[in-house]
Amino acid sequence: MFAQIFINRLKCLLRDRETVFWTVAFPLVLSVFFNLAFSNLDKSETFNPVNVAVVNDENYQNNIFFKAALNEVSKGDDRLFNLMEVTEEEAERLLSSNSIDGYITVGSSLKLIVGKSGINQNIIKSFIDNYLHTFSTVNNILVKNPAGSRALFENLSQRVSYTREVSPSSAAPNNVLNYFYTLIAMACFYGCFWGMREITDIQADLSSLAARINTAPVHKMKAFIYSLCASLLIHLVEMAILLSFLRFVLNVDFGSRTGYVILTVILGSIAGLSFGAFVSALVKKSEGFKIGIMIGATMIGSFLAGMMYQNMKYIVAKKVPLLSYLNPVNLLTDAFYCLYYYDTLKRYAINMGLLTIFIIVFWTGTYLVIRRRKYASI
Amino acid sequence: MVVKVKNLVKRYGNLVALDHLSLSIEEGEIFGLLGPNSSGKTTAINCILSLLKYDKGEIEIFGKPMSPESYDIKRNIGIVMQNVAVYNELTVYENVNYFCGLYIQDSSTRKKLVDEAIEFVGLQDFTRFYPKKLSGGLLRRLNIACGIAHKPKLIILDEPTVAVDPQSRNRILEGIMELNRQGATVIYTSHYMEEVEQICSRIMILDAGRAIATGTKDELKSMISLGEKITVESYFVSQEQVEKLQRLPNVVSVEYKDHHLVIKSGRGFNNLEAVLDFIRRENIEFGKIYSELPTLNDVFLEITGKNLRD
Repeated sequence: MFAQIFINRLKCLLRDRETVFWTVAFPLVLSVFFNLAFSNLDKSETFNPVNVAVVNDENYQNNIFFKAALNEVSKGDDRLFNLMEVTEEEAERLLSSNSIDGYITVGSSLKLIVGKSGINQNIIKSFIDNYLHTFSTVNNILVKNPAGSRALFENLSQRVSYTREVSPSSAAPNNVLNYFYTLIAMACFYGCFWGMREITDIQADLSSLAARINTAPVHKMKAFIYSLCASLLIHLVEMAILLSFLRFVLNVDFGSRTGYVILTVILGSIAGLSFGAFVSALVKKSEGFKIGIMIGATMIGSFLAGMMYQNMKYIVAKKVPLLSYLNPVNLLTDAFYCLYYYDTLKRYAINMGLLTIFIIVFWTGTYLVIRRRKYASI
Repeated sequence: MVVKVKNLVKRYGNLVALDHLSLSIEEGEIFGLLGPNSSGKTTAINCILSLLKYDKGEIEIFGKPMSPESYDIKRNIGIVMQNVAVYNELTVYENVNYFCGLYIQDSSTRKKLVDEAIEFVGLQDFTRFYPKKLSGGLLRRLNIACGIAHKPKLIILDEPTVAVDPQSRNRILEGIMELNRQGATVIYTSHYMEEVEQICSRIMILDAGRAIATGTKDELKSMISLGEKITVESYFVSQEQVEKLQRLPNVVSVEYKDHHLVIKSGRGFNNLEAVLDFIRRENIEFGKIYSELPTLNDVFLEITGKNLRD
């Protein structure tokens, strides 16, 4: 009997184009849009060296300390400046054509010439101010205490930071990942459409088809579970397709704990299915009304988890922390981020534990409604 | 006894949908449940099938109490629901195979039964069609095939001909009689009295959840005073002539409306001859004249005071 129901159910569900579209094609299309929209978000956060020129005249060549300092910050991958040593006329021309953000002339004092104000111009100015401040300090010490020059130069070469940054992770923070994680969470919860259909097709008071099935010599709960297995299998395959697409085509980073990522998707899919079943069993309204509730709840959950505006997740966590724990979409999103970012599994376990409680609540509610074999009205 | 229902009461709030309904159906019968919409036919069927809770009463099928867990009973019942209950995503063949598979586990036996059922309803040329591609009549036939493929002993058909073209309707009715000839007991609900008259061996007339009459069609017709209805198409009949007609022996009522003179007579006399004599005597010009025996609608009308299709 299992094979009979399961195989036919697979055929039925796979040919349900509308539900297949919403549960797999829509998240895939959305992920492509996300990729197009957010691919440059991280690049805008990375620092690009500032293009600066220095007038290469006798004064510059003679000011060996400034020249050394400028050259020091203009080499290596993490350099501050892309430095060009040019004539004053050339520097003026480069500034006019916006090829550089400013140029420096070395005379009795250091002079910065810029075409406009901005972050890059501030960076050049800060460098010059910092240099002049340090130079002045060193000069004063040498004049007042020449004996301490050796210690001074040793200290100067060893800049000490008196605060220490402690990272909970070996992974780098990533602003874009949360968008994709909310997308996966949303796709998991779109499994609610399968859950709804399972209830509609087994509750005799919801459809003629279900009434017909209820008259057959098959245990209602068994028929439901067999059908549900087909729905879950389809949803898991859909999620595997989405996950593979994100990982291997769009190169979304999930960290190194693949097993846990898969476990999260499985639990998320079960949660989505159970959510749809719960709503469908509990709400005695039209199918359109139920779909409205499910889409609405999923989209609000996704919004609060940061799908449309990433900071929303942190605003909710700060202002209404309880809501973070009551939003299963957020629990899933956060679980993915924990796997990516944190070295420990403590927070991940809390998320999964809460999600499991949601699943238990949804299934218990569903069971209490559908266990009835006779109906008050059909 | 295939089906026995005793004192069945079903209420929806203050509305009594079934009011102490009792019926018994013998093996080999085609038992008709006839009544207007909302008379309780489908409610009775759903109670018999243990889909609906009921407030009072007992239901036995094949001599055993019926419950949702009576799988041995359900195995021998075929259901054709009022609303077409098939999967839109499965083809005709797959649908019949699926429903048959809920009753028959052995795949080779099932294949044979599915082929037979499809042939029985004449859907051989449509086995690869999806239900949405079928006409209303073909869809109803598919609905029937899904209900009878496992060769049940008891077949329940709940208004299977609603919104069906005459050709498909005849095919369906002939099919039901053939199933009965093959040994199946049939419960057939309808609000089409002609269908019920045509195929049912025994009929129960329902109104407002109550059984108002039960018997063969002849037994039902003999319950009422009307024996014959004579209709005369005539351009003019005076009120005086109508009154004279009413005084004729055995005439129950006379009505002249829209150039139609309708004379209802009791049973037992040669009523048509008496009416013809009167028309000749009074020199009433007429176009057509015809006589009809009472219908189940007349039975319903006389008992309840309203038409079946009101």
